[in-house]
Amino acid sequence: MGKKKWAWAGAVFAALLLLPAVLGEFWVLVLTEIVIMGLFAVSFNMIFGYMGQLSFGHAAYYGVGAYTTGLLMVKAGLPLALCLPFSMIMAGAVALVLGYFCIRLTGIYFAILTMAFGQLIFYIIFQWYSFTGGDNGLQGIRPPAMLDGAWSYYYFALLVVTAAVVVMWIISESPFGYTMRAIRDNPQRTRFVGVNTKKYMLINFVVAAMFAGLAGGLWGPFNRSISPDLCNWHQSGVPVFMTIIGGPTGFLGPLIGSVIYTFLMAFVTGFTEYWPLTIGIIITMVVLFMPGGVWGLVERYGAALPARKEPPADSEREAS
Amino acid sequence: MRRKSLLCIVAALAVCLLLASGGAGQARAAEPYKLGVALAITGTGALYCKDGVDAIKLAVDEINAKGGFLGKHPIEVFIRDTHTKPDAAVRATRDLILRDKARTVLGTYSSACAVAIKPVCQEYKVLHIPAISNSEGITLTNFSPYTYQVVPNSYMQAKAVVLGVAALAKKKGWKTYATIASDYEWGRSTQQNTVALLKELAPELKLVKEFWPPLGETQFTSYITAIMAQKPDFVIGSIASKDNVAWMKQAKAYGFFKKIPYPGSLISVTELILQAKSLDRGLVGLCRAPFFAHLDQPMMANFVKAFKKKYNRYPSDWAVMEYDAVYALKQGIDKANSIDTEKVKAALKGATIDTTRGKLSFRNIDNQLGCSSYLGVVADDPKYPFPIYHDLVEVKGPDSWRPEKEIIAARAAEKKK
Amino acid sequence: MDLSLLFAQALSGLSRGMMLFLIASGLSLIFGVMNILNFAHATLWLVGAYACYTFWFLLQNHDFAVWLAIPLAALSVALVGWVIEVVLIRRVYERELPEQLLLTYALVLILGDLIKITWGVDDKLITRPAMLSEPVYLAGVPIDSYFIFVIAVGFAVYLALWWFLQKTRYGHIVRAAVFSREMVSALGIPIPIIYTGVFVLGIFIAGLAGAIQGPVGSVTLGMDMAVVIQAFCVVIIGGFGSLPGTMVSSIIVGEVYAFAILFWPGGALALIFILTAIVLIVRPWGLFGTPLRA
Repeated sequence: MGKKKWAWAGAVFAALLLLPAVLGEFWVLVLTEIVIMGLFAVSFNMIFGYMGQLSFGHAAYYGVGAYTTGLLMVKAGLPLALCLPFSMIMAGAVALVLGYFCIRLTGIYFAILTMAFGQLIFYIIFQWYSFTGGDNGLQGIRPPAMLDGAWSYYYFALLVVTAAVVVMWIISESPFGYTMRAIRDNPQRTRFVGVNTKKYMLINFVVAAMFAGLAGGLWGPFNRSISPDLCNWHQSGVPVFMTIIGGPTGFLGPLIGSVIYTFLMAFVTGFTEYWPLTIGIIITMVVLFMPGGVWGLVERYGAALPARKEPPADSEREAS
Repeated sequence: MRRKSLLCIVAALAVCLLLASGGAGQARAAEPYKLGVALAITGTGALYCKDGVDAIKLAVDEINAKGGFLGKHPIEVFIRDTHTKPDAAVRATRDLILRDKARTVLGTYSSACAVAIKPVCQEYKVLHIPAISNSEGITLTNFSPYTYQVVPNSYMQAKAVVLGVAALAKKKGWKTYATIASDYEWGRSTQQNTVALLKELAPELKLVKEFWPPLGETQFTSYITAIMAQKPDFVIGSIASKDNVAWMKQAKAYGFFKKIPYPGSLISVTELILQAKSLDRGLVGLCRAPFFAHLDQPMMANFVKAFKKKYNRYPSDWAVMEYDAVYALKQGIDKANSIDTEKVKAALKGATIDTTRGKLSFRNIDNQLGCSSYLGVVADDPKYPFPIYHDLVEVKGPDSWRPEKEIIAARAAEKKK
Repeated sequence: MDLSLLFAQALSGLSRGMMLFLIASGLSLIFGVMNILNFAHATLWLVGAYACYTFWFLLQNHDFAVWLAIPLAALSVALVGWVIEVVLIRRVYERELPEQLLLTYALVLILGDLIKITWGVDDKLITRPAMLSEPVYLAGVPIDSYFIFVIAVGFAVYLALWWFLQKTRYGHIVRAAVFSREMVSALGIPIPIIYTGVFVLGIFIAGLAGAIQGPVGSVTLGMDMAVVIQAFCVVIIGGFGSLPGTMVSSIIVGEVYAFAILFWPGGALALIFILTAIVLIVRPWGLFGTPLRA
């Protein structure tokens, strides 16, 4: 944890702060999407990077957050600032119930159970017409007047996301965070030293879901409407993509992934309909030739940084 | 080394962003008219939307051949894919408005996308003309003065079916019926409107069971056997376009249509062409804009001729309606004598326009075009390599749309919430 | 509720289950042996349906068009599977689970667009063979004769796979590899060849299932998305790598679906997800699986 890393984070933050001054409205909207999806991806990585489990239903909590804020704003007329904490609470509560079962499994089973629960939540939102509006979603979610512009909403989102990311950073560097790493690297030994691993994992799962819920809460007012697609398994794939591109080993990796993914999407969809093909090829390339993502590259070539746990170099394995 | 390469990446990204944002704002000499199209180019809706896009291109070529709108504003078309997902549709629409400077957005395929982009268009004061998606919710509640609907909405279509079915039921002495509808917005709103209107117009009919196959269902066998076991006198279906093909084919293999009449399901010209061989003759179907109903209109005759010449096929309902959408816009601009969106919007309010389907008017309260719904009997025709509708009944828009009273009530209820 | 209705639902549920079995059996086999969850399985299934259309289209003037198109399509998909295995999958055998999963997910996206580029956006319709286009009656209950064919193929594939795994030398090796690839490798049997073979076999069955799906309805883009999750559910409930498990759970899922339609229309899919979640919680290795890999 050197000074350089702080310089890094500072540079990213400064860029995010200053860039909108020179950008057109469209790109400010893209930036807003980048920070919101960045928060979503960082929260996903609390489970993936720090707990070592792949959640393929993380969008469920994102969606629950989005619907909590959306419903409270549209139906109850609550101010946005009050809705966001509710989004976190609701997402956390749902995660507490579902996570209780999920954390009992690992590996592929964890991935599939989170996915099955995610689909279940998608299904409930999709079917519950009288309450959620079904597949038409909810419209008319407008941020309050003072935030009702591309720039002002961007700075609001940036503020909230920065605060949330800082909190997650503190958690990941706390004894709790290191316990999570221990559980990831050797669950058995961690249990033997007297840690209640299940409890830790559940807490981590809930906290990650809460921040996903916060990201979801920010999305509705930005997009002006929400739909059940936000909880679908395709949406769960997005933070996975971002994290793999950006690199799961670095705390900021998912954020870098969000920048690359969202920017590319805005750029590519401008001139071709073949976005799935493009991102598919990129993911394939990253998985095959750049394990560890962008952050992995940085770590490998950044001699100044202490080496962390790295995936084995694939070229050596290939030969066997 | 590390820092240097990182700096390079950051710099490159910044340059890209600057270039991209700068590129959008360049000065224009002849002031072309930027027309945005947000349709489902991939996924579920691609089949219908391809026809729509082709028709838009045809209309634009025709207008541009005469110098563009007002003879001096050549039209530039920008097409974006909505992926049939509301989020992607919003992103595409913002892209069209902010980067391409679109003044009008034609779209979308799915109703969920249409209601999602409606407030975005309103926010940026851009006209929005849906020509495929037809959920009534687009114009009923959360009304936007920028949205003009040129397709008969789900209420109008349901009303047309009910008028037809009520007459048939009386003639044949039907008593009971079942419904099968795709489990999503369009299927649900159509089914609900149909059931409610049937209760009103033919109270003696009894609904025995509802079936809700999910969107994307490929195997309908269980639904078919379950319906047949109920032995209803007839079945009303509203199944999404491509699922409908699977449903019809499988139901036919069960001998379903021979036993149970299935009147008034949406069988557009796309399906007539696609299922030319397998479609049961004698089926009573519903469609939104069949070209063969209006060949006496010179505009339609010319359109069909031009479309066939350019693409070597007949235009579907979707092509007809997107073509009309472009010409509705043109007439709004002509009437306003300006391409200024506010003026065009005002000019279109309550306007009567020439369409391929005849002279039609927009209704003031919801900007819904008074276009017709069509019911007919599927039958072979020597003029075409596919079956068309015979004994066509045209239910006029003003005879089928929701009474204004109910719209006012629905909007009042919405405000109270 | 009268008996003929129950019988009709049971039959339609069985045909639905058989269709699922054809898709899921390859998925289960590949996971059981190679420990790779293939997201792209349903997409390759869709490629099979499109390939069937192409062969049928070329042969459509002959009576045997569909009968020839189905095996040809299955073989071409197996070929595609072989290319995918050699070019991509082989490189990630030793990787972590998420990377394998992502690679196959990326394949879904790539193949999806390639299908669109190759076949366009139009729905493709395959005319059924004349002998399977009229319903037949079993005890007064109508059933689509094509689905009798589907059910027959389902059982035939099951028996063939069972025979292969239980009665042949290669099958024994494959079964051994499910339990311990190290031991098989120590016996001097080249694991990569086994893996390639299993992958191609699994994809062949997927292609066969897709080709058989072709004439059922229409072949359209995005069809794979509705199917892939259901196939996962089947594999989970039955237990990864267990052939009888996949068969039983396919039938369970098909029947649950068929009867849910009667009693809880609209909730059929939700029931299947709930069932999957329960199995995962109570018995993560599935009804017929072994807890070795859990």
